[in-house]
Amino acid sequence: MYVEKKGLPLTEQNKGISVARTADQVYIRVVGRGTFQNSQPLRRYALETIEQGCRRFTVDVGSCPNMDSTFLGVLAGIGLRLRQDGPTSAGHITIANVSARNLDLLQTLGLDRLFIIEPHKGSGTTSLIPAGAELEKLPDSDVEALARPLDKNETTDLMLDAHNNLVRADERNAPKFSSVTKFLRETVERRRTPNDKK
Amino acid sequence: MKDFHIEQQTRDNVQLVKLTGSLDMYSFPRLEGQLSAMFQQGHHRVVLDCRDLDYIGSAGLGALIGFAKEAREKGGDVKLLNVPERIYKIIELLGFTKVLQVHDSEDRALKSFTT
Repeated sequence: MYVEKKGLPLTEQNKGISVARTADQVYIRVVGRGTFQNSQPLRRYALETIEQGCRRFTVDVGSCPNMDSTFLGVLAGIGLRLRQDGPTSAGHITIANVSARNLDLLQTLGLDRLFIIEPHKGSGTTSLIPAGAELEKLPDSDVEALARPLDKNETTDLMLDAHNNLVRADERNAPKFSSVTKFLRETVERRRTPNDKK
Repeated sequence: MKDFHIEQQTRDNVQLVKLTGSLDMYSFPRLEGQLSAMFQQGHHRVVLDCRDLDYIGSAGLGALIGFAKEAREKGGDVKLLNVPERIYKIIELLGFTKVLQVHDSEDRALKSFTT
């Protein structure tokens, strides 16, 4: 697996999602866009680390110019999953280095109430990486250089789950995503009942 | 990243809307406002020219389906034109091409409203 040396400038080669972790702390850095195309590796990694006991997540979006609703829905799902464990678990997500544009997105979706938001302090810093942890890039996390095509069913399921998470996080999101969730839900239902020809 | 930009003109009684930049949750409300205004004025035949669009988010695509459905109820439609290959692949993967017409020629897109 590709391992990045600390202090390297954020260039094309480390576009994508890189992670570093200790026993209970996870640092996730997003370079480039966060979209439904790189949400799956993030979701898998986060769920795996939660299973292993990690409860404190920091997502550094200082070099992420934009996040789509699926990506934000996956982050919301991680936040909701950590919240499931109750207030004593001390589980939380901090979204760090948030630009004005990304802050606007988070506030529009009500996610500023689910996450701890820290404003932008400058991209390329490595100070948020937990001490003793190595940064490594998640495979297939650079949306501009995916090694394999996305699986349609997997992507549809992911998107539906992500948008449902956004509605669970804030009910005011329901009308915003009603068209896309309806379309995705119907697609999933058609797949589950293949003999039902409409 | 290019700034999002909308240019609108009327051709053959169809609203031709040229989109430039990224159509994401941040910029989509601008297109949403423009489409709503067109519908209020009775213009339900819309072609979105995506040649200079470099990104479209999942929620934006979903919302376009809602607008297309609303336009069809009034005898019109919202169709896509000149969709860049990387965006087309996404639209196709997610099955949106089943509900949103995609054209590669402006003439064909305009004529499709009369055939």
